[in-house]
Amino acid sequence: MDPGFISLMGIVLAIGVPIISAAITIITCGTALAGIGTEKPELLSKLIITVVLGEALAIYGLLIAFMLLSKLSDITTMEAANKALISGIIIAVATISAGAGISYNGSSLIGATAEKPETFSSNVIGVVLSEALAIYGLLIAFMIIGQI
Amino acid sequence: MRKLKVITLEDDVDAVVRSLDEAGIVQFIDMREKVEEWNGILASQVVSTEVLTKCSDLLSKIDASFENLGLKHEELHSKKIPITKEPIEEVLAKVEQNLAELPVEALTKCSALTSRITQLIEILGVKPEEIKEVILKKPVEESLAEIEYELSEIEKTAETTGLIDRHAMVDRIKTVAAREEIDVHKKLAEFARVRIIESKPFFAKRLLTLKKLVEKARESIEAETKLGKTHESLLTLRKIVEIEKQVAEEQKKFVRSAKTIYFEAWVSEYNVKEAIERITKVTAGTSIVTDDPPAPDEKVPIILKPVPNYLIAFEKLVYSFGHPTSRDVNPIHALAITFPILFGIMFADVGQGAIFVIMGIILTLLRRRIKLEEVGDIIQYLLISGEMFVFLGISSIFFGFVFGEFFGPSGLIHPISLGKIGPFYIGGFEPTHEPMKMLKFAIFVGAIHISLGLVFRFVNEIRHKHYKLAPIPICWLWLLIGSLYMWAYWRGISNISKWFADGSLMLAGLIILPLTFILVFTGIAEGFMEGVGFSVEVFAETLSHSMSYSRLMALGLIHSAMNYLFLVLAGVEHGYFPLASIPLIAIGTLLVMIIEGLVVFVHTLRLHWVEWFSKFHTGEGIPFKPFKYT
Repeated sequence: MDPGFISLMGIVLAIGVPIISAAITIITCGTALAGIGTEKPELLSKLIITVVLGEALAIYGLLIAFMLLSKLSDITTMEAANKALISGIIIAVATISAGAGISYNGSSLIGATAEKPETFSSNVIGVVLSEALAIYGLLIAFMIIGQI
Repeated sequence: MRKLKVITLEDDVDAVVRSLDEAGIVQFIDMREKVEEWNGILASQVVSTEVLTKCSDLLSKIDASFENLGLKHEELHSKKIPITKEPIEEVLAKVEQNLAELPVEALTKCSALTSRITQLIEILGVKPEEIKEVILKKPVEESLAEIEYELSEIEKTAETTGLIDRHAMVDRIKTVAAREEIDVHKKLAEFARVRIIESKPFFAKRLLTLKKLVEKARESIEAETKLGKTHESLLTLRKIVEIEKQVAEEQKKFVRSAKTIYFEAWVSEYNVKEAIERITKVTAGTSIVTDDPPAPDEKVPIILKPVPNYLIAFEKLVYSFGHPTSRDVNPIHALAITFPILFGIMFADVGQGAIFVIMGIILTLLRRRIKLEEVGDIIQYLLISGEMFVFLGISSIFFGFVFGEFFGPSGLIHPISLGKIGPFYIGGFEPTHEPMKMLKFAIFVGAIHISLGLVFRFVNEIRHKHYKLAPIPICWLWLLIGSLYMWAYWRGISNISKWFADGSLMLAGLIILPLTFILVFTGIAEGFMEGVGFSVEVFAETLSHSMSYSRLMALGLIHSAMNYLFLVLAGVEHGYFPLASIPLIAIGTLLVMIIEGLVVFVHTLRLHWVEWFSKFHTGEGIPFKPFKYT
């Protein structure tokens, strides 16, 4: 197959899938947040973290896609093209997992905090640990791109 | 913080609570959860719903009077409410009696009359003039009835003769005259001569006199009652009822035997003496009061010191996670330094940092002119964070010079190196070109940040007198710095096989030994199984939390890359900004500052809340809120 096409597939994965995961996360957490906002608006400022962490997933995808795009002219061999594709797949899988984690934990965190605000500090761990998954993927994808 | 334990007679308890309420120095402890501990010797104090209902009832009655009299509902500052020793029921009964004695009905009538007269005066366009002293010739009730009768007569006359709306009356006469074929001018002249011209001055003077009479009536009504000015007495009564309601509510936290009441309360060390004096004075020595220091592991409310204006935003960041427990290190001041640094590393940019500084200064200046209560939520947050923006901006500018960024990697500024510690370069490279150097720098910063947290943990353990647990943070620090050293010494994780072969001694000394110590110390303090669990946790946390700081590099690169995107689109090369590129750069900067700025802010917050606070700040403290009438 053509190396150019394969690396383009990598870019598609790197930008498309993180955006879908970010959208899912924001949809789940945003709607939960809207519900809580009517009851306890004072909690919104700290619960907004769930939505922003969801949004960050799309930015990770954007970064990888952008870096691949800037390397596109250097990719001539199949090996380099495979690396581009693999880095796209890695960031896709990592953000999908992080997105699933944040949307489940985030909506539960929002509900639990509304009921008992003092549980926030321990419940937020679930959200931020899920978000860390995306960072791990990002790092590895990043290192692979560095080797192209 | 001291704990007061008070036993007092049932009859005195209302006065005791009232007296403490006035001082506002104690926080009552809810005893209901502990009732079971006394095996039926003490039961929880039941506050009768009758009292609470009566309070609400009286409050709504007083509010209704306020509305009827058209009085304003202002706070009563000057008058001090004396503390009575009577039980709540009697106080409430007295209030009710006083309320009944107040001449609310007569005064309502006065207000109604005054407003009717004022309305008429306005419609007729009467000019105010001096009226001589008037005297009420009959008793107030009768005079008011007479005034009302006369007023309605005037109103009637005014309506029928067209005094109220002269133009409408003239129009009516014209139409009638046209229909009946009468000479309009003649009729109008007759009408004017007889009614309007003659009667208006008379009515005007009479109305003003009536107004004065009503005022006089009002004065004499108020003079007859012993309670003084009605407005003031209503406010006083309202305040009394509110205090009683609060006193009753607060007593739900107490426990009782047949004739005595027992309660516990927190009081700060400075106020112990005053609190005890107040209780003894009110009960005339028939109470038992002890003050004890809190038990070692008891949750003690913490007195939060107010912070200066420029730290308020950081205070909010800390307290929205949770309040520190008593005797813990309060991380606000440390956070005010580390937060901007971590933010600046991720948002390194000289130009955008400068925009942040300017924005912060403008917000700070605006805050002095705008009342915070009058603006919306988001504007309020922005105004509060004025100084924080300045801090963040300064840090961004600093790291912008270190990493050579001016509105992105435009090439205008060259990275400035601050030195090199082992394999860790501090600045002097462009993150996009040498990401591995940036990654090392990020982990290095993370290790320093975590170490600071561990030092705080050590201080906390000492302050709590947990001497058995105090070595753990030290060993943890040893493990953290040791593993960082090993990572640097063996040039990264890719040579891990060498860690176990050539570096086995180093591995034992820097990683296995501190972990063993942690296991042993936790084992001594809390049991062997906890020790095993905790040391595994420490190992995993050290690894994952340090790794987590790699987001400093990831987000720093994202920031750089997003700016680079706009630089390429705008055609900026080698630090030369063409004039046509400026609008595009402006749009890009706006986007980056809003979207990326928010993401970076949340990540900085998350690094503090999770990676840093988990070392020393549990957020389980309760702020000390003394019980006081508000």
